[in-house]
Amino acid sequence: MRETPTASVQCFFEDVEIDVPLETPGLTLTRAHVALFTGLTGEPASLDPETVPSLLPLSLSSGLGWRVPRPPLAVLAFMGFEWRFLAPIRIGDTIHSRSRTLTKRSMREGGVVIEERKVINQRDETVQEGKLTLLVARRPAT
Amino acid sequence: MGDPLMLSYGLVGGHPGIFFEDLTVGQEFTSPGRTVTETDIVIFAGLSGDYNVLHTDAEHMKSSLFGERIAHGLLGLSIEHGLASRGEPAAAHGALQGLKWKFKGPIKIGDTIHVRSRIAAKKDGPDPRCGLVTVERELVNQLGEVVQEGETEHAVERRG
Repeated sequence: MRETPTASVQCFFEDVEIDVPLETPGLTLTRAHVALFTGLTGEPASLDPETVPSLLPLSLSSGLGWRVPRPPLAVLAFMGFEWRFLAPIRIGDTIHSRSRTLTKRSMREGGVVIEERKVINQRDETVQEGKLTLLVARRPAT
Repeated sequence: MGDPLMLSYGLVGGHPGIFFEDLTVGQEFTSPGRTVTETDIVIFAGLSGDYNVLHTDAEHMKSSLFGERIAHGLLGLSIEHGLASRGEPAAAHGALQGLKWKFKGPIKIGDTIHVRSRIAAKKDGPDPRCGLVTVERELVNQLGEVVQEGETEHAVERRG
């Protein structure tokens, strides 16, 4: 059995700061993203082949969240979320994500963190946004 | 043959020519099933860039609450949407406007999931050409456990 990853590589509940904006690098959406995603989900091709499936930018935003100047959150479970799809996203658009922690609440097994997240396009328009509820691990006792 | 509801769902394609007026509050649908594989999780991790140990480190997960790797929550939701779009009229024909979603239990490699859905509400939206349809959804595993649930809102085109 290996050691649990240490604090230097993960952001634990105690490390989460309220209201500090985190901005990710950008990602240009390509036909390859759409083909991989629709192949994986099995949804029928869209009537407009230039439009990106709605759930793809949301899915990409969770990976973009790993590319910020902070170690990745020690997420134990993704508990739920609310999300709005505000505008279509097209192949060739470049999205990034901006997030901040709204609240954190200590629980027995860890802590619940509510994160506000926006997906923003190259014209600085918010195209998708919502609030995510995450169960985050406490820093292991040393 | 199995569940008769499955036959009414339509196994391929969508429901051509379905409009807002054709949908009725209380209509229920059951999707085909799909077995979630290790490959699904690997592809989703590679595509999304979400390499959380929950989904990628089999050794670490042996000692976790779940005992093994689990699917990304958003992979489950994405597969749910794919299953629903294969026949259910609101998902097949209506652009997603919003959703509220709860992840209630893990989806493990080899689990077979399907969608149960029900049209919960219909209302006018900001675009007069479309109405808004709210659908309640449950993603159910082979043991009958609801692993994800929530509601989605779709803009569905009105007839003429």
